Amino acid sequence: MDEDTLTTLKILIIGESGVGKSSLLLRFTDDTFDPEQAATIGVDFKVKTISVDGNKAKLAIWDTAGQERFRTLTPSYYRGAQGVILVYDVTRRETFTKLDNWLNELETYCTRNDLVKMLVGNKIDKENRELDRAEGLKFARKHSMLFIEASAKTRDGVQCAFEELVEKIIQTPGLWQSENHGRGVQLTDEDAGVATCGGYCSLV
Amino acid sequence: MAADSDPESEVFEITDFTTASEWERFVSRVEEVLNDWKLIGNSTGNVPVKKGEYTSGTWGEKSKDINFADFKFLITHYFLKQEAEKDNEKVKQEEDAFPLAMQDLLCMKNDFPPRAHCLVRWYGIREFVVISPGANCEAIISESKCNLLHSSISISLANSGCQVPIFVQVQQKWRRMYTGECQGPSVRTDFEMVHLRKVPSQYNHLSGLLDIFKAKIGYSLSPPPPVNIAIRFTYILQDWQQHSWPQQPPDFDTLLGGEVGGVELGKLPFGACEEPISELHLATTWPHMSEGIVVDNDVYSDLDPLQAPHWSVRVRTAENPQCLLGDLLTEFFKLCCRKESIEEIMGRKLTEDEGKENSDISSALSKLTEPSAAVPIPKLSVSNMMHSARKHIRRHRRVDESPLNTDILNSVLLYLFPDAAMEKSSDNSKNKMPQSNSELDKNSDYNLFLHLKSAPSDSLTYRLALCVCLVNYNHGGLRAVAHLWQEFVLELRYRWENSFLIHGLAGGAPDLRCCLLHQKLQMLNCCIERKRARDESRKTQDGKEKERRVSGGGTQNSSPAPDTSNASASAKELSVGKSWDSWSDSEDEFFECLSDQGEAEAPQAEGEKDGSKSKPEGRLHPHNNMTLLNSSELLYVPITQEPAPMTEDLLEEQSEVLAKLGTSAEGTHLRARMQSACLLSDMESFKAANPGCVLEDFVRWYSPRDYVEEEVVDEKGNKVLKGELSARMKIPGNMWVEAWETARVTPARRQKRLFDDTKEAEKVLHYLAVQKPADLTHHLLPCILHAAILKLKEEELIEDIPSVKKTIQQATSQASKLLHPHSYDYKKLELIVIETVITQARSLKSKFAFSEDEKGEDAGELEKFVSSLLEEPEVVVIGAGQGPAGSIIHRLFVNAQRVGSLKLNFFSSDHYAALLSPLDEDLGPDRKSSGGSKVPDFPPPAGREILLRSCVPRPAPYSKALPQRLFCVLMREEFRLAGAFSSDTSFF
Ligand SMILES: Nc1nc2c(ncn2[C@@H]2O[C@H](COP(=O)(O)OP(=O)(O)OP(=O)(O)O)[C@@H](O)[C@H]2O)c(=O)[nH]1
Ligand SMILES: [Mg+2]
Repeated sequence: MDEDTLTTLKILIIGESGVGKSSLLLRFTDDTFDPEQAATIGVDFKVKTISVDGNKAKLAIWDTAGQERFRTLTPSYYRGAQGVILVYDVTRRETFTKLDNWLNELETYCTRNDLVKMLVGNKIDKENRELDRAEGLKFARKHSMLFIEASAKTRDGVQCAFEELVEKIIQTPGLWQSENHGRGVQLTDEDAGVATCGGYCSLV
Repeated sequence: MAADSDPESEVFEITDFTTASEWERFVSRVEEVLNDWKLIGNSTGNVPVKKGEYTSGTWGEKSKDINFADFKFLITHYFLKQEAEKDNEKVKQEEDAFPLAMQDLLCMKNDFPPRAHCLVRWYGIREFVVISPGANCEAIISESKCNLLHSSISISLANSGCQVPIFVQVQQKWRRMYTGECQGPSVRTDFEMVHLRKVPSQYNHLSGLLDIFKAKIGYSLSPPPPVNIAIRFTYILQDWQQHSWPQQPPDFDTLLGGEVGGVELGKLPFGACEEPISELHLATTWPHMSEGIVVDNDVYSDLDPLQAPHWSVRVRTAENPQCLLGDLLTEFFKLCCRKESIEEIMGRKLTEDEGKENSDISSALSKLTEPSAAVPIPKLSVSNMMHSARKHIRRHRRVDESPLNTDILNSVLLYLFPDAAMEKSSDNSKNKMPQSNSELDKNSDYNLFLHLKSAPSDSLTYRLALCVCLVNYNHGGLRAVAHLWQEFVLELRYRWENSFLIHGLAGGAPDLRCCLLHQKLQMLNCCIERKRARDESRKTQDGKEKERRVSGGGTQNSSPAPDTSNASASAKELSVGKSWDSWSDSEDEFFECLSDQGEAEAPQAEGEKDGSKSKPEGRLHPHNNMTLLNSSELLYVPITQEPAPMTEDLLEEQSEVLAKLGTSAEGTHLRARMQSACLLSDMESFKAANPGCVLEDFVRWYSPRDYVEEEVVDEKGNKVLKGELSARMKIPGNMWVEAWETARVTPARRQKRLFDDTKEAEKVLHYLAVQKPADLTHHLLPCILHAAILKLKEEELIEDIPSVKKTIQQATSQASKLLHPHSYDYKKLELIVIETVITQARSLKSKFAFSEDEKGEDAGELEKFVSSLLEEPEVVVIGAGQGPAGSIIHRLFVNAQRVGSLKLNFFSSDHYAALLSPLDEDLGPDRKSSGGSKVPDFPPPAGREILLRSCVPRPAPYSKALPQRLFCVLMREEFRLAGAFSSDTSFF
């Protein structure tokens, strides 16, 4: 595929402060881990081109600050996103319990209902786990999300998370071909199939 | 031809052979197709058809192109999809059973199906194949060609053993002429057809047709086998005149308080202006009779429709009847395509005078909107300039040339700004703000609102949409809309300048779930609110200072999080640039909406990077009883600036700028810096409120997770809590540290504004002023669609039409497609169709209205009958002519007949007088239609269908008795005989 037919997908990373959103993104785009990653102010932005199932896609990824004072800004980035990655920290339960708030916000501000959601439990390399895999899985199932556990530090699951998400987006009809403004389902053209011979007729 | 292209084979016979082979190849292609479709042999399991299954079941259809030489044909297989279709294959019939089609000829369960392929109607068959000329091919007219085709199918059938009948369409397509054949074990059925423009008089009745049938089947046996007869007459009712259509188009020219021409402001009109039901077809059927029971010849007929045992009715609807809502929407959509600007419409003259100033503003503003570096804003004395704008325009426009009538304009403006009637006092305005958001969430239409991205239905935006729509439709179209918009924008400017809040908008930051126009209006209101707060605090400052928070906001809670239910706001200014100091660049206005104690004499502490010696300023409340790390002072949450409210276009612009900074580390740094105005402001406020504080203190309040506390044992062996910044906060030179070092000790009150309401208000007002009517239409489209759907739902609720419920659902998703830029294909808009359907239902209900004295059960039955009329192709009239619906239909026909004859005999005064007397009452059920010299109750039938069937040996009396059928259609301009005659092919 040549450059101009490349699909651009807008992806959003959200979650509580310090769960490792920026670290996950850095691991994905630059394959590095910076323990000195500064707390995000406002939003940050990265681009990466990947190819999934022979489909090349350019990902425009928005990394948002989890810090509450900055959160007023983030809803505007929900607009037009095709995929969202919701991150929590497996070593801090409160980052998991706050997920409901994030989902609410998402529900309110995203402009499409077919948006693909992925839940990522981060920092599995750490010893002091407070949440096991099953809990994350259960939450993801309840809200029809993709789920994966990962570590930005050890790179476990990171690449896979982004690839899965993109694959799912590409499989979702109408999600990536064109910017669909509304949340509406596609209307099928139902008036097809009328016989050409004027055959289905009544007497008069 | 092969012979021509091949120079080596110039032998005469080969050419000849090629000709022959075209035909053979056609035959074998037909066989191939039959094979592909598995129509070979006695394959069809004999599944009995159910009564009415031809209508209730689904029909399948498969097609293929085949060629005869270079002539294209389409071969199509039609079949009734039956449930047990292929499972029953084991239940084979006896070897020599008739093909299914032959049995169907005599089957009486599906006579006169309301909707079916004409061949099904004529021959009663459930499965058949048709070969017809391809799409753009000429018809098969010459007899030799017809014969050639017919023999082709004969051979194909014989070769393949296919028992499904095959038809060939001959003559012009519209004539629907088919000839066909069906073959079975030593039996064959020929399907033949006669089609004439006029009914020959000797065949214009049952007895004549019986004669043909008998002659054709060689009816010479004695005793003669019985002929089964089924008859159906169809009557058409077109004349509804005596039923005046109740809905008159509203009189739009009158104007009563709050109402514009019968249509109340804020309501959408609804309904058809003309009769939406054009015809009613009554089919009276005599399902099976034997010869002799009924007499119908050239002089006398027993076939009185009123006595027919079976009645069914269908309605034909008018094509695109004029409907109010549909018209209104269509006119509104047309506005979308207009290119004119307000100025072009309203005349340059009006705006000439302000032209110079205007251009000044707009260029200044366009610089402002450029996200580049800080733009120093010249002190625009816009307010002064605009103060007189209203009067200005009024003065220039003479009353008679104003496109929108003054009275109408005033009532519309009053509807939009109801508070204008009251004293514009600042006190009552605030508590009257509708709390649309909370209402919406409970509302079941919340989804619709989200889906369309419209605005709350009690909002100013929504009401504006309705008014624009109405003004466009009834009060002067484009020009009137332009006029209204101009007035609307002037009113907004007036409010901004005089600090009157705009009513009908939820408070707080723009709601990103709403349409952009609504957000813009909310933004303007935010500006007005801030301005008022500023003004107020100046006033109170002049008096005595009270500690009071004026601006509504969320800083009350201990965490610095602003109320997240506010849609969105941002503290970030695009013009921040790289400098920490340039984040507010307009006038020397401070964020003065707060007044707290002691600030009057507070020494200017700016420049002091650590506020250890200064007095605390701008404290909101203590934070969880924490104390500062370096002193025993309580840690105070400071009063902070509200983040700047943003509309989605601003946010989009901003995100574009942020994205443009690229993905390098440098870009990331720059991005963070651009967005840190709010952080810096909060730090400055914090420093002012907590003299002697350190970054750790700030982090403990602002981002508690970045302050890590650990229990350690100190040298004395005591357990103490030891805290430190998280690793990421400790990175030398990170943004937080950098900002902390830059931050001065300044309470929010004396900081420069994060949100420059003056600039933002002017931007909004300018944006609004330059919208063309077409732009405005686009802005309001979601609201109009929203309103239209609500209206349809409301109207449907009264009528309760199941199919409409479904369509509304579909229309809703279709409607959101309209909101795409570039897709204004409103002509196919489902919404308009729905209105028509509802009015059709209404029309039918009024026609079949049951009077008071009718029994309850009848009413229920009638109601069901009426709703089925719209859902089903044909509806059975229970009780035929004697039932409740039947008697109403009868009455409708009688009335139409009377009106008809009235027209004929208009000048014959006797008739005229007689006909004026009410006749309805004396219509007893046993009244004969043929009675006396009076006008007959029913018009002559528009169509008569007569179906004759018998089982008769052919061709010889000693042949097998086989199904014979003749279907006759008699209409004013058509006479058709469709015969299926079977013969024994072994014993003749
Ligand atoms: N052990 C471990 N630490 C991690 C992992 N991912 C992130 N961290 C650390 O967690 C801290 C926070 O990570 P960030 O990526 O800045 O978190 P964030 O979600 O972007 O936080 P905000 O920008 O404030 O919303 C950093 O110190 C990271 O080094 C991980 O997978 N394992
Ligand atoms: Mg981050």
